[in-house]
Amino acid sequence: MTSLIEPIQLKNPLGDDGILFVRNDSIFDTMVKIPLLLASMIIVAALLPIQSSFSSPRDLDLIIYPDGTTHVSIEIDVDPFSTDYELNLFGNTIDNLVVIGDDEFLLEFDIIDNFALIQTFGSSVITIEYDIHDLVSKQGKLWTFSLDSPSNFTLLLPQNSAIVGMTNLPINMEIHNDQNQLTLSSGSTEIDYFFTTTITSNPILDTKTETDYFSYVIVGVIIVIILIGITIFTRSKQKNSNSIEQTLTSQKNLILDVETIFALKPDLREDDKELVKFIFKNGGEALESELRKKFLQPRTTMWRAVKRLEREGVIKIEKKDLQNLVKLRKNMEEEE
Amino acid sequence: MKKLALFAIIVLIFGTISPSLVNHAYGQNDPSILLRIAVQADEQIVNQLNGIYENKIPNNIEILYEKGHLSVESLNESLSNDDIEKAKQDFLLAMNSFMQISRIISQSSEKVVVVTVSEKSNRNISSEIDRLEKYVKSLENISKKYDVNVESNFIKIHALIQELRVEINNVNKVHTGIKEIKIILDSIKNDIRESASKHKSDFIKRFLDRLLDKITNQLIMAEDNGVDQTQISKASELILEIRELLSQNQINGAKVIFSELKELMKNIGYPVRIT
Repeated sequence: MTSLIEPIQLKNPLGDDGILFVRNDSIFDTMVKIPLLLASMIIVAALLPIQSSFSSPRDLDLIIYPDGTTHVSIEIDVDPFSTDYELNLFGNTIDNLVVIGDDEFLLEFDIIDNFALIQTFGSSVITIEYDIHDLVSKQGKLWTFSLDSPSNFTLLLPQNSAIVGMTNLPINMEIHNDQNQLTLSSGSTEIDYFFTTTITSNPILDTKTETDYFSYVIVGVIIVIILIGITIFTRSKQKNSNSIEQTLTSQKNLILDVETIFALKPDLREDDKELVKFIFKNGGEALESELRKKFLQPRTTMWRAVKRLEREGVIKIEKKDLQNLVKLRKNMEEEE
Repeated sequence: MKKLALFAIIVLIFGTISPSLVNHAYGQNDPSILLRIAVQADEQIVNQLNGIYENKIPNNIEILYEKGHLSVESLNESLSNDDIEKAKQDFLLAMNSFMQISRIISQSSEKVVVVTVSEKSNRNISSEIDRLEKYVKSLENISKKYDVNVESNFIKIHALIQELRVEINNVNKVHTGIKEIKIILDSIKNDIRESASKHKSDFIKRFLDRLLDKITNQLIMAEDNGVDQTQISKASELILEIRELLSQNQINGAKVIFSELKELMKNIGYPVRIT
């Protein structure tokens, strides 16, 4: 019955020299609460981008008009617990300033020098649009655009303008309606441009000889012929078994024409109708990025518009190569 | 557990470093963009030089052009060799040379006039109409949100804009038309503001209510942490005052007191912000 109380040190005797050893393996487990440590680190890591994302433009798009006036369009994530937000306007000659908060509500603002103090009152995303006359200067025939941007931005140059100097590396360049649109990184940028009537349409230099081109063309043609052959062969095999089925589905898949869609959805907004018309003309589907480029809208504005149309049952959104493919619904009436 | 911890640490380190990597990646999806821009600039400079100097190009400009042109050729070569870093250097060097040339040309041209675009007289009428139309469309979308009955005004503005585009060469008529449009727009903005005020009041009330709850919790924490009791009492009084004003629909008054409360919270070390 009498159970001996055995001292712990007898169960785990010390080393020969009587030195207290602490095993390396166990110190991590015993001294530090690993799950707690991990959880806290993950939380910190998750919060970092959120913290840094507040007050930094999500989208910054600029359009330079032929007279040098620039239209600025900004979307910013703001702290929904703040009452106001101070925005650097990049200058003080501002026109046509509109600030819109969540749900497209108009927000009030005061302009103090180069800054606009916007009363956000709980909005988490604000959109600011204005025209500014301070970003472009002209000397002789040379126009110079200068901006110290807090984030990456897109810049649509006027028609018939040719860049003759820049201080920053462009991230991307696209052509929209004969206008160059550059994507530039944050920081200070200066771009010099002239207006001209002799811009080369395909200015890419290539030092390869014509013989090189010819050999590439031959190889390309052979590859295309092989691919077409494979496709025809595969299709001809499937054709017989699928032909009846395909006829039935193709009849079903006919998309509704624009007028029918508008008749079924009379409350669609005018700008949304323009989107529907474009998608219809584009064969009933378009990438969201294509819509943004066509209508020159910031990412989130277009996303909201697309979401609206999806809610209305006019379109459906599918993923294609990590992009949103917007498709007109084929049987709207049935689904309603 | 050790492996898991190590894995998490690696993920976190990578996660912290990766954004900075992306920023410096200069995502030239298609590096030939650099060449396109540089070649276009090169051709444009040649056109300008031919137009101004014909065969008598000043020595300093010629040296600069040679430098720029060689950089474009080097850029082409760097791209062929997939040497992106070298290509970036070549691009910046070429564009810098062309920029210097264009500035020398523009300074030495016969009538050098430095134009400030902000001066109204220097603005292009067609561009001004384009900008005005964009602004009108923004207000039109907002007015729909508020159900303001201003449709007839917008129809009138659109008709005026069409008219101005036809009469674009008649400067006086266009200026008068633009003034007329701006007057109509001011009236529309007033209507929108009026209609918006009701929505805004509800919006601000909800926002302040939510925020006051949060601040009350912060005050409890502050009290536990031994913050001066008089400051806490003052903050609590301000909260009560704001709630009272909100219940009486005195939004502007509530906003003023809220600013005072915000300042006080900042002073006691509990600033009002997301946590």
